[in-house]
Amino acid sequence: MSSYKNDYQWSQIVETLNKTISRRDFIITSVAAGVMTMVPRFVTAGAAEPYRIGVCLPTTGSGANYSERPIKGLPLIAAEINKRGGLLGKHPIELYFRDTQTKPDVGAREARSLILNEKVQTIIGTWSSAVAMAIQEITHEHKVLHLAATSNSSKIVNENYTPYSFQFGPNSRMQSGATVVAVLNMIKSKGWKSYVTLGLDYEWGRDAQKVFVDKLTKESPETKLIKVFWAKLGETDFTSYITAIMALKPDFMFGAIAGKDNETFVQQAKASGLFKRIAYPGVFLPVTELMQQRKTLPRHIIGLNRCPFFAHMDNPIMQKYVKMYQDKFGKDDYPDDFACMYFDALNGLDQGVTKAGSTDSDAVRKALTGATIDTCRGKLTFRDCNNQLDAASYVGEVVDTPDYPFPIFDPKSMVAVQGHEVWVPTCEEVRKLQKKRI
Amino acid sequence: MPTDIGSILIQLFSGLSRAMMLFLVSSGLSLIFGVMNILNFAHATLWLLGGYLTYTLFQLFSNTFGDHALLIVPAIVIVTGIMFVLGWVLERVLIRRMYAREVPEQLLLTFALILIFGDLIKLIWGVQNRRIFLPIEPIAVFDSYVNPYFFVIIAAGFGVAGGLWWFLHRTRYGKIVRAAVYSRDMVSALGIRIPTIYAGVFALGIAIAAFSAGVFLPIMPIGLGLDMDLIIQCFAVVVIGGFGSILGTFVASIIVGIVYAFSIFIWPGGALAIIFLILVAVLIWRPWGLFGTEMRY
Repeated sequence: MSSYKNDYQWSQIVETLNKTISRRDFIITSVAAGVMTMVPRFVTAGAAEPYRIGVCLPTTGSGANYSERPIKGLPLIAAEINKRGGLLGKHPIELYFRDTQTKPDVGAREARSLILNEKVQTIIGTWSSAVAMAIQEITHEHKVLHLAATSNSSKIVNENYTPYSFQFGPNSRMQSGATVVAVLNMIKSKGWKSYVTLGLDYEWGRDAQKVFVDKLTKESPETKLIKVFWAKLGETDFTSYITAIMALKPDFMFGAIAGKDNETFVQQAKASGLFKRIAYPGVFLPVTELMQQRKTLPRHIIGLNRCPFFAHMDNPIMQKYVKMYQDKFGKDDYPDDFACMYFDALNGLDQGVTKAGSTDSDAVRKALTGATIDTCRGKLTFRDCNNQLDAASYVGEVVDTPDYPFPIFDPKSMVAVQGHEVWVPTCEEVRKLQKKRI
Repeated sequence: MPTDIGSILIQLFSGLSRAMMLFLVSSGLSLIFGVMNILNFAHATLWLLGGYLTYTLFQLFSNTFGDHALLIVPAIVIVTGIMFVLGWVLERVLIRRMYAREVPEQLLLTFALILIFGDLIKLIWGVQNRRIFLPIEPIAVFDSYVNPYFFVIIAAGFGVAGGLWWFLHRTRYGKIVRAAVYSRDMVSALGIRIPTIYAGVFALGIAIAAFSAGVFLPIMPIGLGLDMDLIIQCFAVVVIGGFGSILGTFVASIIVGIVYAFSIFIWPGGALAIIFLILVAVLIWRPWGLFGTEMRY
């Protein structure tokens, strides 16, 4: 035991993940990682206090598909920081993984347990905005930092704003706004006149659909919304929705569908001929889906993602993420959007702590508010009125490429809609949305 | 709501396909309850296990013999057999101890099976959804398109319904099973081994579930949690049709599937609510279900 060093322990964690993740349940590996991160407390007596971070991610439920790569990759980033002694060179990071099961009550329970029992100072997570907002209440109550790396309801930074929460990806409002930008171009070029929406009936789906419809109605009032469909989260049979949409004969459809449900919808829609009749611009296609559906994904549909590595391979940080990830997990695997945003969240925290010169949560949040940080997507700034990172949404056509063993967005026509182009226009409007907190 | 015949027919196919999916899973549940008075809460979890096994076997065959869509057929047949054996073993080892117990105890045991098999699935296959990708291309029908796999599912549903009817009404073993529903003691007095009958029925119910999971895999992904979602809908179907009535389960599946499909047209957000309203109405006005018998109720 005495021979353990922090960076070595982290490499051991990653080794464990690497050996087991390919076949076995990554719940086990995440638990193993969590347990192993506790080891330094017993072997580095006398060293500075470790900095404990709770990672809340679902390993079951709709969001499980997007948790694998962040769980595999976060220990790599933590190990990188710990190589130089940890935060401020003296606070080695310890990660504590918890499964939210994509359920708000479980997420809140785990967050409270992490804060009270494990004494974490930051919680990163989670997938599902409903769960993130449940966690947000707990972190606000205990004045613990909350890094919403991927959950992206706009309510997290607007209606439900707390100064302790920071959002690292484009929020649902920005994402839907980006889709509107792409759709407006197509309305002009293709003469579209009518559309339907199909959304998952939960916080994010409702939010994304509302923003899209409101914005499109404002920008193109003559484009008619024929029908609104809601499917339950975790739906496995979209066929009745698909046939109903086809019967209505709209020019295009907007989908607020994510996770496993998105893959299911796309496959069933393809087999039912939906894409032969109806355009589906803005389908959420993170790198996870591009990799997993490489054989079956219809080509030339217009997709949207939040942090595609292939759009930023000229950025040294992104190059480092990809190399670090592939060195551990093989050349066939790539960090997906979710992993990259989690990596940025952990590196962003590192930069916030450095700027604050302290690990105190209040000092760090003040340092990060309005700060510009280095990310794999370039230098990005947090909006000082709601802690939303000025992150772009990427809209592009799905095409094959000789560069990767899966399709990507066509680099020639891909559009990165910047965050500030589509977020709530002024801080005055943002503050009107924000509820008063005690 | 669209009124052209093409749209209505395609929605009807979609509803029938959903109906047959429900029937294929619910029929085993209904059969087991009808004959053995066992409420098998783990039925959909065993269905899920059958799906995962079919997925694995299909992958194995594809890796060995190359990509052929028809390899799914032997995979389904073999897994149906494996699950028949598993069902038999479960009945002999666990379920038979529950015959004299109250329903809550049966539910507790079968709920434990859900947790055990759920964790087993998690350990072996992980948490990602699994499905079999077949090159299914839409076919043009009535100025629109339809998924041709709808017809495979509809055919499978009608095939199993017909097969069960033939088995229960035209075979000696089936007649014994039906007799056992009404008087176990009398059947036993005739020298027929009731435990064997029960084990066979339980195994058959599980085998049908496994078969249906394999049939669904090319159109519907399977994943953890789907079993809980499905079992609730199956209970709704079985209650509407009448516990223990295969005909009732068949008719209720068609009602539920078609009502659901057309509700999507009219009130998309309330499609499931309408199904459960039907369930409530049946429970109030005819608690033994549309085709159940008052005696059993």
